[in-house]
Order: sequence, then structure tokens, then C-alpha cells
Amino acid sequence: MSQSLRGFPADSADLSVVIPPWKHNPSAWSQRIPICILALVATVIAAYMAMYQWRIVDDVWDPVFGEQSRKVLDSDVAKQMYGWFGIHDAALGALAYLGDAIFGLAGSTRRWQYRPWLVILFGIDVIPLGLVSAILVVAQGTIVGYWCFLCLVTAAISLALVYMAIDEVYASLKLLYLVGKRTGSAKAVWLAFIGRPFESADQAAADMVRRAA
Amino acid sequence: MWARDVEVMLGVWLIISPFVFVHSDEATLLWASDFAAGGLVATFAALSYWRPTRHAHLLTLLVALWLVAFGRFGAASPLPPGMQNEIVIGLLLMMFAIIPNYATQPPDVWFDQSDQTLSMRAHRASLGGNRP
Repeated sequence: MSQSLRGFPADSADLSVVIPPWKHNPSAWSQRIPICILALVATVIAAYMAMYQWRIVDDVWDPVFGEQSRKVLDSDVAKQMYGWFGIHDAALGALAYLGDAIFGLAGSTRRWQYRPWLVILFGIDVIPLGLVSAILVVAQGTIVGYWCFLCLVTAAISLALVYMAIDEVYASLKLLYLVGKRTGSAKAVWLAFIGRPFESADQAAADMVRRAA
Repeated sequence: MWARDVEVMLGVWLIISPFVFVHSDEATLLWASDFAAGGLVATFAALSYWRPTRHAHLLTLLVALWLVAFGRFGAASPLPPGMQNEIVIGLLLMMFAIIPNYATQPPDVWFDQSDQTLSMRAHRASLGGNRP
């Protein structure tokens, strides 16, 4: 059976369609697995820093800034956040990076259409949270005056993840935008967001895809 | 069903947590919270394997909410390790509990409803193969 550009029915749908302006399927495993691996690396690094904040390890490795890392991780800001959240900020960071990997792994290779809610949740975890954490790390260095090598590594990973995830989030948001434009109905956008199949949404999706070369 | 499998493991972790973090004998609510939450989470995950109760994993969100709220506000900060454990596991469970059962497959409603029964599809999805 020839595969359809449409998403419904999934039995005959082409799950690996390309979404211009890109030349690839943003929900392909080749796109998502690298994100998950990178996010897991950041999870391990953040968990290591959390272990220092919990004093499970006595010292934190920093080949560039030496003991400045300890000053950052034990700073008043870090202590303030510990007071607010009840757990250390690095532990929260580790959970957020792990969330990137969890939300990156779930879903089919056409999840930008089948589960936009999942892609957008993934996008919220990766993009705004990633940008805020990167800004905080830089602020730490410029305002407090101490730098932390591993914090900078995770901030760089955050920015790389934003770049890697943006195509898929764009695909889901564009779909919702097109559904809204086509139907003029907020309810239709909501149904498309939670991943319900209906004619106008599937047509909107079919219009924005191309067959993979 | 990988999210459900992880939830079972996290449930077991909660059940052994009182011994790992050596809760004091006076912290009865923390002991009870760890045991009850762990048992419930593992049960909801297991129930999700049975088709009539396949959405049971969503109830884990309520347990996770309890874990975070009790862990954070059940004691004065700095929180004892057992309470912090509840916050961390609660946040983890929130992320896992919303992952659908057959997450790698397109959702059921996207398949042609005419030619196959739902249970057949669930069976096929459980085999994890690629779509034809």
C-alpha cells in the first residue's frame, strides 16, 4: 500500500515526511536520539554538582576556574534557591535535563502531528528553561564574579539543545497555527493540540509536509 | 510501556526509601507517605497494562503532587534527606506519568477504526513492531 502524506489513518500514513524549510523529518529518531544523549550528559553533570551541594562528594572538579566552582555552588543565590525549593538548584537542573530526555524519547516519528502537546511540553522544557538557565549561569559569572566550568558546560549544552529541538517545536506550532487559520476555531486548535484526528487539521498537516527524498 | 516500567521501579524505590534514608522513628507520616505512595504508584503502573484500566497511570500525577507538596511543606527547611527524596521522586513521577502507554506508536485514535478492534491494535502495539 502506498503511503499517504496524511496522518490519518496511521495504518497507511508516511511517518517520515519532511517539513520545509528543513530537508528532514523533525520527529525522526536521528533528530531526537542525539538530543536525548546530550540531555543525559547534562543530567549526569548537573547530578554531580547536586551531589557536591548535598556533600555526597567533598569537592567539585574544575580544571579552569579552580575553587570558584565551589563558591558558585555554595553562593547565597544557591542557598536562597535551596530554601525556596527544598532541594538544590543543581538537582532541579538535573531533573529538567532528564525531562528533556524523557519527553524527547516519547512519541512516534510523526509525533509533531500526533501528539503536539508532547512536543510543546518538550519544547517548554528545552527552550525557555534552557535559555533561562544559560542566562543565569552567565549572570552568575558577570555579576557575582565567580565562574564554574561545569555550569558553563551545561549552559552550552542547553543552548545546543535549543538549536536541536527548535525544528520540531516549530512544526507543532505551525500546525496549530494553520489549524487556527483554517478553522477560525479555538476548540479546533485545542483538539489538534491534544492530538485528536479531524479532517481540517489533517489537511493542514498534509499541506505543510513533503515526501522524504 | 517503558514509562510504566520506570514508575514501578520508582515505586519500589519509595518503598525502600525509609531504610535507605534511615527515617527517624518519630517521622511516622514520612514512613507512611513513602510506603503508601510507592505502593500506589507501582499499582497504578501495573493496572495500566490491563486495557480497561489503561489510564490508571494518570492517577500517579495525584500521588506525585502529594509527594512534592508533603516533601516541601511537611517539615521546616533545611529539609531532611527523606523529604527531599520525596520532592525529587515526585517531580520525576510527574514527568513519567504523562507519557502514554504505547508512546512510540501513533495514538489509537489515529488508526483506522473500521478494520480492527481496539484490543487487536493494543496487542500489535505491545509487540512494538513498525507499522507496515
